[in-house]
Parts: sequence; structure tokens; C-alpha cells
Amino acid sequence: LKVVSRPSPINPIVRSFHSSSLRAATNTVTTPHADPQLKNYKFWNREESTPGQFSYLLDISPESIRKEARIISLSAPDDDANHALHEGVLPMGCHLLGTGSTLQDFDELRNSNQQPNVVFVSPSCPKARVQLPLVLAAFPSIEWIHCRSAGIDFLVSDALAAYKHLPCTNAKGQFSSSLAEYTMMACSYFAKDLPRLMQQKKGKKWEKYEVEELRGKTMGIVGYGDIGRACAKIASVYGMKIIALRRNPSMSEVDPLCDVVYGTGKSSLNKLMSESDFIVCSAPSTVETRGMVNADAFKVVKQNAVFINLGRGPVVDEESLVEALRAGRLRGAALDVFIEEPLPPESEFWDLENVLISPHNMDQTGSFMHEATEFFVNENLPRFVCGEDLLNPVDVEIGY
Amino acid sequence: MDGSNKKYYNRETSIPYSCDGDIIKEAKILSLSKINDKNNEPLDKGQLPEGAKLLAVGLTLDDFDVPALKSEKPNVVFVSHCCPESGKTLVQLLDAFPTIEWVHSRSAGVDYLQSKGLTAARHITVTNAKGCYSSTLAEYTVMACAYFAKDLPKLMRQKNNKDWNKYEVLEMRGATLGVVGYGDIGQAASRLAKAFGMKVIALRRNPTLSEGCSICDKVYGVNQLNTLMSESDYVLVAAPLTDETRGLISEEAIAHAKKDAVLINVGRGPIINEDAMIKALKSRKLKGAGLDVTTLEPLPKSSPLWDLDNVLLSPHNMDMTATFLRESTEFFVNENLKRFVHGEELLNPVDKAAGY
Repeated sequence: LKVVSRPSPINPIVRSFHSSSLRAATNTVTTPHADPQLKNYKFWNREESTPGQFSYLLDISPESIRKEARIISLSAPDDDANHALHEGVLPMGCHLLGTGSTLQDFDELRNSNQQPNVVFVSPSCPKARVQLPLVLAAFPSIEWIHCRSAGIDFLVSDALAAYKHLPCTNAKGQFSSSLAEYTMMACSYFAKDLPRLMQQKKGKKWEKYEVEELRGKTMGIVGYGDIGRACAKIASVYGMKIIALRRNPSMSEVDPLCDVVYGTGKSSLNKLMSESDFIVCSAPSTVETRGMVNADAFKVVKQNAVFINLGRGPVVDEESLVEALRAGRLRGAALDVFIEEPLPPESEFWDLENVLISPHNMDQTGSFMHEATEFFVNENLPRFVCGEDLLNPVDVEIGY
Repeated sequence: MDGSNKKYYNRETSIPYSCDGDIIKEAKILSLSKINDKNNEPLDKGQLPEGAKLLAVGLTLDDFDVPALKSEKPNVVFVSHCCPESGKTLVQLLDAFPTIEWVHSRSAGVDYLQSKGLTAARHITVTNAKGCYSSTLAEYTVMACAYFAKDLPKLMRQKNNKDWNKYEVLEMRGATLGVVGYGDIGQAASRLAKAFGMKVIALRRNPTLSEGCSICDKVYGVNQLNTLMSESDYVLVAAPLTDETRGLISEEAIAHAKKDAVLINVGRGPIINEDAMIKALKSRKLKGAGLDVTTLEPLPKSSPLWDLDNVLLSPHNMDMTATFLRESTEFFVNENLKRFVHGEELLNPVDKAAGY
């Protein structure tokens, strides 16, 4: 690992939108920046975390059970990615009470003496945003919400914010490596001018042209979370320089993967845009980030930069992105996410030659959602019954 | 780690040469290259190390004023691969100037220089540009893997049809990259592949040289090629072209390929039996191929490779950055020339008999 000296003091123009730090849903507040080896990190990483610690504990020592988990699954009933929960063998002390996609589906439970204390919610549930608060209101015994996906934007609402006192966890860290692979592919796509290769092949033209190296180039990561870090991990082996941008820059101060860390605020974002050859937007969609990468940001973008979005469409002002592409300020864009999905046929992105479009599937491996359910079953459920801190706390008010 | 590392240059990790000692001998250089080749400016027009002098630049024997130059006793030839006759011309130069003791190739591949005459000239040391181009080719290699893993051709088709159709992608993580020819390029590709979480199987003539290698999981000898083929999801050919490697990836080897394997070639076209490969691509025995080199270059329009939709074709340019040739000349000037005049061992020795 390369050890970098501490970055220069955080940009004084950094504006923190919330004076209180991220509300910890767990009992202990672990501060990653105080733990350079990130050993007590409260988030799960599919590649680095040690699996099965607590499911193993339950197996060998059932007395570790402090309380039972009575789970309801708010999902499409035929969603077979939930196999591990709906059909699998659950850890000791865990029981699945029912599955449904609306409150009505759980009518029978209302008067039962077995009240649920855990709700597991999947994006496959059609109107999850409406149904979840209804379920929470109907079952005040629920003390923990787990979201199968990483993005919780499909759940967030004022009604849900009323339940911010309940721990909520998600699948952060579960999809990151696939997206990092996509990111490097997208960078190389433009550096080696893959579109030109395809064109030459079509015309049977054998014509040498110069290619670029990624080595020595700068990757600016907007929203340096697990996905951002996974990208940095690989990009640094390529010899790229990494600029990370996040709400809490101090948390990445000793991260050996980042050359520079910026906080939020317009000037920080603009600085990143002007310094990066490849911009990776991996931020979640929250009240703060919506429309964050806007016309002003694209105005100062480094000439010929490449813009990659694999977070959420709404973080980017799509009109300004199109404008920057048309004006030739950006060499190109690789977009896996859009404000509207499926992307409507009339969207201008389809016709722009220098845009690589993917249908929000660059993390969609054959097993990704199954694994996300397995994470809930094998990692967080055992922790819950053992009375341990849950992994991947999210703040439903802040939105991630 | 690879015990032979010290003899070889690596653009990313080697420490630049410096020496305060005396000049042991002078370097009198002939450049077998195009005149006014901008990439050779560090030699043609730059400041050469003390004790080194460029005598003449030419493409054929006729370009060199042999009688006049003979008295200067040229002892070094710098060769740029700029014409198919280079190998022949080199031997002519060696015959005309018996004082030559060192030939340096600006490229990594020295197959174009091979000749009986050169191999027979035992007093001549040959060095090359090994390690100068590797990282760019490593980048291409993982891009080629991703091209098939994420099904880039499908993405392009869908975009053409404005088709929003979610499909499953493959992870590179956990997949196996088999590297045939584990030299500098192969090792650079392994380093990157490891960063992606891939498993790496290395194959080389001297497997013991890679024992304990931290960036590969298994090391095989050449006789285990079929095993490598059966275990690899992606096969990278990064070997030089020699008598031993010509046709190494034979019909038999391809027949042993793992289901849905992808073949990637950044070495030399003739290492793969092209007809067998084309057959396997058509029948989908091979899922696809990423080819930066082909048996014939430029690739004739008649080649079936142009029409195969599961082939990523590039015109032998995936290492062709704006500066790569110039950097190679700089390597000659700043690293090996300096070593030569100080009487030190030169980097990147080529085994003439082995051909690389």
C-alpha cells in the first residue's frame, strides 16, 4: 500500500449541511479515521470483510442469543433472489413470519401473538415507499429495518423519516467490485478509443492510431463510499492519481488510496471537475446530492475529461451533461444510471456517439441480489440475535 | 519474486542509472533507422552521455559511407524496426564494420532482427526495449477481458436500437487469467488482473524463475499448456515470437480451452494457429478474442477476422502512446548507453539463440 502524507487542510470553504454527524444506528460509534487499518469499520465489504463470524458463533454457542428475530419480508413474493430468506435455513433464533408486498398481505399477523421485530425490504416490492411506513405503523414491535439493496432512495419519504429512531441497514459494500470493474472498463473504453476500433472494424480499416494510458491520469471520485473506494483500489494499481470527494473528508484522511480528499461544497466539486481526467460519480441520491453535478460543474470541467455515472441519475443535471458533451468539453460519458429508467427512447443520450449507455445493469451479476439477501441472513441477522452492532447503518433522514 | 529482474528494465519500477565513475570506453553509434524519425530525437539531436557519439543514420547499407565510417570504428548499432529488411541490413552492417560489439533494438520484439548471421556473431551483445511498453498492454488486456465480461458488443447493439434491456454481466473477480509467456508484459498484466481479484496462472519456459511469485497463483512449464487452457477463462498470449512459440497455441491447445474462454493476443500473431482460432470463434468454442496482433499486418480485408462479431480487433497499436517510441529511445540513451561507456552490464540482454 502506498502511504501518502496527509492531504492539505480541508478546503476552508467546505460547508457541512448537517451540524450533527451521521446518526449512528448502532450503540457504539466507530470512527474509521481513528482506525487506519479500518479493522472496526462498521460497514461490510464483500471482498475484505470476514464472513460468518456471528453465524459461526451461533452455531457453536446458542447461549449467545440475546433475543429472537421475527422477520417479515416486504418484497415481491416470487422474487427468488430472496431465496436464502424465504426458503433457506435461517440462523438459530430467527423466524420468517411472512412475505408480502402490501400491508394487507400481513393482515393475519396483526392479531397474532407473534409480532415481527424485523422488516426486510427489497426493491422488488412495487410500492415500497408507500408500504413501508404503513407496515411500520401497523407493527410498532418492529425495531429494525433492513434494505436489501445499497440505494435506499426508493424508500425515503417524510413518512419514513418519522421512523428515524429505528436502526436501518442496507447492502453497502455488496455491489462495489462489479462497479469498479465497470469503471475501469469505461475509462479504458475512452483511453484506447474503443469506438474508433469498432468503427475501423466495420470498415475493415487497419489504421494505427495513438492510444492513451490510464497510468498517470487523475480519477476524481464524487461520493467516496464503498464503490468509490473499490474503484480507487483498482485505479491506484493502474498508477492513477485519486481525488476523493465526500461529506466527511476527515474519514478518508489516512486512506492510503487517496492522493487528495475534498469535502462537499461547490468549490470543492468544481476543483475536482477541473483536475480530473476521469470523473466517477458514485454518490447516493439524497436531498443534498440531487442535481449536484450541474451546469457550473460542467463549465469548469477539464477539457476532454470523461464523466462516468454509476450512482444515481438524479445526482447529475442531465441537460448540462448533454450540453457539455455536445460542446465537446467532455470527451465522452459512460452512464449506467439515469433520472428516468428505463431511459425513454426520446432521450438525447441514445443519439450521442460518445456516450456508453448501460441499462443500470453493470452490477447485475447472476447472483448479486441473492448474495445481498445472504448478507442479511448470514451477517446481520446473527448480529441482531446476539445483540451485536449491525453492519451498514444508514440514516433514513439523510438518505444513505 | 522473479530472480532475473535485475537484468531487465521496468518503466515503472526501475531506478534511473547514475554513475560518477570514469568513462571506460567510448560509444560510436550507427543508427539503422529512418532519418528524421521524431521518436529518435533523444539520440539524433539530444545530448548524449559523455563518451557517446552518433556517427550516422541510415536505412540501408548504401546510406552509410562505409570507408569513411570505418576509420571511426563504430561499435554500437541502434536499430528501429522501420522496414522488413532490417534483419538483412543489420548483418550487412556487421560485416562492413567488424568493430561493432553491441546492437540495441528500439522495440521489445526482436523477431524482425533474427538471422543466422546475427546468432553466429558471438561477440555481439543484443539488447532490447523489454519493459518499455508493458503497462499499456496490461491496461489493454484487462480492457479486453471486461469487453467480454460486460458484453460490450451487446451494449453497443442495444444502444443502436434504443433498447433498454437489463442483462446479467460477469465478474472478472474470481475468474482465471492464464498468461502464456510470463515476461514483463505478462507480469504487468498479472499485477492488474490481481487488483481485479482474478486468479493468475503463468506459463513460461523457465517456471522456476517465477517460483514464489506474489502476483501469480500457479506457474506452469510449456508442457502444461493444455492444462492452462482448460483452467483459464481468459488466456493472454504475451510471448515473443521464436521457433518454439510459433504455432504454440495450436488446434490441440484451443481444443482444450475452457468453456466460454476468451483469447487475447498482444505478443505476435504467428504464435496462434489463426485458422484454428477462427474456426473455434465461429463455432463459439471460444467465446471471443481480443487481437492486437495478427499473422499478417496490416490485416488483409479478406481475413474472416473482420467479420466475426466476437472479435475485438486492433491494428497493433495498443501500446502506441504518443511517447512510447521516444521513451524507448530515451531508455537507450539514458540507461544502456551510460552503462556501456562506464563498462557496466547492459540491461535487457537478448538471448540470440532463444530469440528473445
